[in-house]
Amino acid sequence: MKPDLKVKIKNVTFPNPVLVASGTYGYAQEYERFYPVKQLGGIVTKTITLKPRIGNPPQRVVETPGGMLNAIGLQNVGAEKFVSDKLPYLRKLGIPVIVSVMGYSVEEFCAVVEALDGAPGIDGYEMNLSCPNVSYGTAAKAPVQTAAGASKASAQAPAKKPRMFAHSEALIEEVVGAVRKKTTKLLAAKLGPDVSDIGAMAQAVERGGADAVSLINTFTAMVIDLKTRRPVLANRTGGLSGPCVRPVAVRMVSDVFRAVRIPVIGMGGITSARDAAEFMIAGASLVQAGTINFMRPTACPEIIRDLKTFLTKEKVKRVTELTGSLRLE
Amino acid sequence: MKLKPEALKVIENVRTAPGHYRMRLASPRIARTAKPGQFVQITVGEDLDPLLPRPFSFLQTGPGWFDLLYQVVGRGTRILAGKKKGDALTVLGPLGRGWELPGAVRGQVTHVLAGGGVGIPPLYHWAETLVKKHKVPASRIRVFLGGRSKDFLHCEKAFAKLGVKPVCATDDGSKGFKGRITGVLEPFLSSRAASVPTAPVQIYTCGPTPMLKAVSALAAKYSVPAQVSVEEPMPCGFGVCLGCAIKVSDDKGGHRFALSCTEGPVFDACKVMWS
Repeated sequence: MKPDLKVKIKNVTFPNPVLVASGTYGYAQEYERFYPVKQLGGIVTKTITLKPRIGNPPQRVVETPGGMLNAIGLQNVGAEKFVSDKLPYLRKLGIPVIVSVMGYSVEEFCAVVEALDGAPGIDGYEMNLSCPNVSYGTAAKAPVQTAAGASKASAQAPAKKPRMFAHSEALIEEVVGAVRKKTTKLLAAKLGPDVSDIGAMAQAVERGGADAVSLINTFTAMVIDLKTRRPVLANRTGGLSGPCVRPVAVRMVSDVFRAVRIPVIGMGGITSARDAAEFMIAGASLVQAGTINFMRPTACPEIIRDLKTFLTKEKVKRVTELTGSLRLE
Repeated sequence: MKLKPEALKVIENVRTAPGHYRMRLASPRIARTAKPGQFVQITVGEDLDPLLPRPFSFLQTGPGWFDLLYQVVGRGTRILAGKKKGDALTVLGPLGRGWELPGAVRGQVTHVLAGGGVGIPPLYHWAETLVKKHKVPASRIRVFLGGRSKDFLHCEKAFAKLGVKPVCATDDGSKGFKGRITGVLEPFLSSRAASVPTAPVQIYTCGPTPMLKAVSALAAKYSVPAQVSVEEPMPCGFGVCLGCAIKVSDDKGGHRFALSCTEGPVFDACKVMWS
């Protein structure tokens, strides 16, 4: 008997639990040349901001053992062009389309969701609270992000200004709560790992009224050129992703699963069905494959196929039975 | 038909110069479709170690095979140099946009190819295509090569065999002009500008970034169009990671970041804003 791969969160049914992570799949059409994209569990788009962004200057990426750093700087077409140019293809796929969104302030977060919410074909949002490569309170159009400038959000924050929403429970709750009022669609918020208590951050997402919590975003990291003694990346730091982060991500998903009641969307270095199953056992209802899409563009269909084989072999009837099945006794 | 990473057999992998190798891989499909200036992404290791594939431009294609010429610069290319006949490598391609023939006055153009180091292979592929496919007479092609010493003037003999004898420059003076490639390219451009100022010239260049910058500056100085092939770190190679961006002018007086993998690797030199 074929295992049931369907996963339902709120009013959205995902045909299987394997989605693609934001920023690793463009606007999905880029992957049509490799395989029919509609076989995925769902799409999480490149992060969309209210205005287009040209991104950070090069060098933007560097390889590290088992991973890579990126500092792309949320290069994207902006909300208006996303709706007119990218959404028509996405809505025809027939699989859930989750739009990753980001704003530099609470107001801007609300504004981007308001700009998108009337457009047909969007099933939900994933709030990017944790991009390590942009600073908050800078103009959306600015080609180069600086550490200067204070947003209303960060002004309201406790004494030390956090670098991102995901670094402060109060900010997370405020921004998720504000966006919650703007949409009735599936709302997830994505956390970053550079915090001491990921469970507390996830609880703030839950208090804000989100339907799910996604984790992890990349680790803020640095590589130095010894000859010049400068950071290799023009942005100085970048986000570390890839197989090297996976064990930390699995631990964090496990922590968050036990801290909140809302579903967990797990990601961080997934390259195989084995990894996807590991995240689900730790507590993820859905998983996202990210960096692997770069080096093996056909990875996701292979993960879905192998996950089915794994479930059949393990005699698991429904994939949802895996979620949180971690044994700790 | 969908593009897929393919496991290709190594036909041969031979040392051509100190630290440099020519690898021949079997793929009738890539051999048929590869255009000069395009590239392939090669996964050099196993089990995602090293993690990222490496981009290599084509040197040449033949019946059922294509050649790459590469330099050992780090762990990935060291692994590649250890590959033996019969080994398999995962290859994705061809990718990117290669050299373009200038549209108008095609028959009259003198094609000037300026290459340094491992930037030479895609220019050889182009020269061969110009001669064999586009039937450009060898007399309308000029080749300038630069290298550390005579050992690194890659493809020198192969160019000569095509009927295009390269003009060489070496850092140590062991062959040709002692100094940079611009030391031989500039006299050519200036004498041409003086003697036949209206005869169209098209430059194609590939090599280290300082060389691309210097050749682009010469092209601007003599009002000659130039195509540059850039090399950037390329995690994906097909336009999704946005990692291989270079700064280019946006036609509105500002700038934008263009992807070397899909918009390039060949760019119009006057668009590139060198840092």
